[in-house]
Amino acid sequence: MRRDQEKVATEFMDQTETWPIEKLRRLRRRRLRALVRYAYANLPFYRRRYDEAGIAPESVKGPVDFARLPMVTKADIRRAREDSGSFLTGMESFPNGDLATIGMTSGTTGTDFLYCNRKWRQFQGGRLLRAYWWAGLRPGMRMMLTVPAWHCWAAEESYLAERFGVVGVVPWGTFLPRFAGNFVDAIRDLRPEFLSMFLPMLYAVQAECRRRGLALHEVFAGVRCVLVVGAPLTPASRQKLEADLGVDVYTGAGATEGLIAMECSEHRGYHLFVDTCYLEVVDPPTGALLPPGERGRLVLTAFNPHGTVYIRFDTGDLGRVVKAPCACGRTWPLIEVYDRLDNMFAAEGREFVPYDVRLCVDEIPELTGVPFSVIRSVPRVRADRASPTSPLWLAIQRPLSGNLRSLEDSLAAEIGRKLRVKAAIQWVEELPARWKGAPVIDEMEWKEIARG
Amino acid sequence: MTRGEAHDKARDVVTAGGGAPSGATRLARLRRLLRHASRRSPYFQASLGGLQVDSILDERDFASRVPLSDLEGLEAARAATGDPFSGRKCAPECRGQLVFQLESDGEVPLYVALGRSEAQSYARALGRCWRLLGLDKGDRVAIFDFGSSPLSYLASGAFLPYVSRGAADGLACIPVCNDGVSQMGQRAVEIARFVRPRAFFVRSDCMFPFIQEAERQGISLRDYIGAIVVAENEGLPSARSCRAWADALGLPVYRLLRVDAAMFLGIECPSCGLLHVDSGSYFVETVVPGRGRDADSDGGGRLAITNLFARLTPAIRYACPVLAGRIGPGCPLSPEDDRFRLV
Ligand SMILES: [Zn+2]
Ligand SMILES: [Zn+2]
Repeated sequence: MRRDQEKVATEFMDQTETWPIEKLRRLRRRRLRALVRYAYANLPFYRRRYDEAGIAPESVKGPVDFARLPMVTKADIRRAREDSGSFLTGMESFPNGDLATIGMTSGTTGTDFLYCNRKWRQFQGGRLLRAYWWAGLRPGMRMMLTVPAWHCWAAEESYLAERFGVVGVVPWGTFLPRFAGNFVDAIRDLRPEFLSMFLPMLYAVQAECRRRGLALHEVFAGVRCVLVVGAPLTPASRQKLEADLGVDVYTGAGATEGLIAMECSEHRGYHLFVDTCYLEVVDPPTGALLPPGERGRLVLTAFNPHGTVYIRFDTGDLGRVVKAPCACGRTWPLIEVYDRLDNMFAAEGREFVPYDVRLCVDEIPELTGVPFSVIRSVPRVRADRASPTSPLWLAIQRPLSGNLRSLEDSLAAEIGRKLRVKAAIQWVEELPARWKGAPVIDEMEWKEIARG
Repeated sequence: MTRGEAHDKARDVVTAGGGAPSGATRLARLRRLLRHASRRSPYFQASLGGLQVDSILDERDFASRVPLSDLEGLEAARAATGDPFSGRKCAPECRGQLVFQLESDGEVPLYVALGRSEAQSYARALGRCWRLLGLDKGDRVAIFDFGSSPLSYLASGAFLPYVSRGAADGLACIPVCNDGVSQMGQRAVEIARFVRPRAFFVRSDCMFPFIQEAERQGISLRDYIGAIVVAENEGLPSARSCRAWADALGLPVYRLLRVDAAMFLGIECPSCGLLHVDSGSYFVETVVPGRGRDADSDGGGRLAITNLFARLTPAIRYACPVLAGRIGPGCPLSPEDDRFRLV
């Protein structure tokens, strides 16, 4: 076992983590060039699009040329799927007789299929392994395996779990609050040392402990680290979670399409795994590249040449590259991922994402981490029709303690100070239970929910 | 070669050698299992206390002298001992790589633990069910169940650590899973339309939302799917429900029985219509509680499963509530399998 452990440990000391930035750039250029050439030669989906755009793969020499390649949206992929009548769209490297699974994305707007062969899994899992190492997973630990098999993440996680030689603990159910009881039982009964799950599920587990009158510190006594994904965690939320649970909490940003970005122990953003993917930040309406520090649409290119290949894929996420270097010494760029662009909403004529509200809510100690939904008076596609005077409408779960009147005043004041808009706050018993929570709900739907 | 691999190799010889293990071989395996369990598992130490394993003469003797176990018994043992494994797990030298929480409606969470080679054998049992359906290279197979269900996690070596060959890998099929919640009907229909699975395994409580969603979208599932297999843990939908589904969909509908506490998987055969049991992996009896074994079946009894590959969490004469009568081997599709007529 010891030699195995040493072998695994050396896999995390990736030397590129601290390479000089210029050297990383050269590596990135090489990878992008190779990927574009590979896609043009092998993947009909890309060849057609590049031909239509009149771009020869050889002309792509660096990020600026690369940014001229057409972006791939979910709608493009769906169209290709409808045309082919198959989950195969021509984006897949599809060797015959390959051992493979079909993974899916968890999007709210429909299903996307990914062809995940074993080489895809090895590439992706081998890199995610480092992210889990950063988060504190160590060889031989007991680890809760909760990612459902339909999600590509399961194929990656099972790969790294085996490489770590963990003892895998599988609770019954899926990431929905009604299974939180099973998760709590499994944590108490089997004492896993490492957990990874979506943030709303972790909150559901906490709520279940409270419902049963269990002390969180006792339930989590055997847990050393929790890796949460699926929603951005504010610094205050993370500190509160760590204090409540008595464990180290790390967050990662990932996407089925190949994004891996992970917090280091500085917790100042996610280091982009530059050996795995390349991220552009573009102006949402124009598609123009934005400089570091500015918020924009995240466009992902995954370097994994196996399975379904994503080049300039519009993730639909809003984020930015952090300008300052990280104190940990890694040169891999830091990024922040805030939310789905679809979750943007307008208040008093200005646009925000739920993360902006989260930062305000978490400033009030009694409300840190408390779930909320922004109720959007008009759907995102009609944001221009939003009334310029409509305030920020917030439905927030009633906290366990505190005077509601004064909490409401403090929260409205905080929102006024940080976002410079008025807030209409509504206390609710509970919010709709969804995989990744319900950060934004359109007014029509909210009324239906209220009617029950 | 590790011990686990050697064990797998030995099993390959048994299962690939054509035909079920002989009575003598199976008796030897049952004895070995009893010896192992009575020495190492506190639960079986208690229930098998004093049993002279070598004096068991044949399978009938096994049935009359070895007590039954069941879910209620495991729950009671969990309550009495506080042990999540109900004392069943062979401790402490058997460490195991995987622990599964069992599906249950009850308040008492129970678990099974498996080592690498056991997980592999379990996956092979699922693979045999797939093979009986005629699934073959390049076929796509869909599963509408939770990721925590053996139907899902044994489907591919990519879904579970330590399983190098899931059911799909042995047959070169390509699996796709859906989550087992009934709200996922829409996604199940999308899977049908774009993946066109030859077989669609569906939790029985997801059948209704699946069919309803297909109707809502005006999709005829038989244009996209070859067969549906409905599955449940320790239970089965009635033959009548299956016929109604088959008539409504114009598709063959088969039943698959999961007994997770005994790490059991068996499927209804497209050819003979009987429940097939891999006799290399399981020794299955029909029992009438209080009467021990129901001699050579006819009226039928509860299925009692002895798992021949599970070492870490043994399952010995585990009685599930499903009623069946024994028919015995002889199906041309898989002549070595034991067969049962579901009641
Ligand atoms: Zn850092
Ligand atoms: Zn048959």
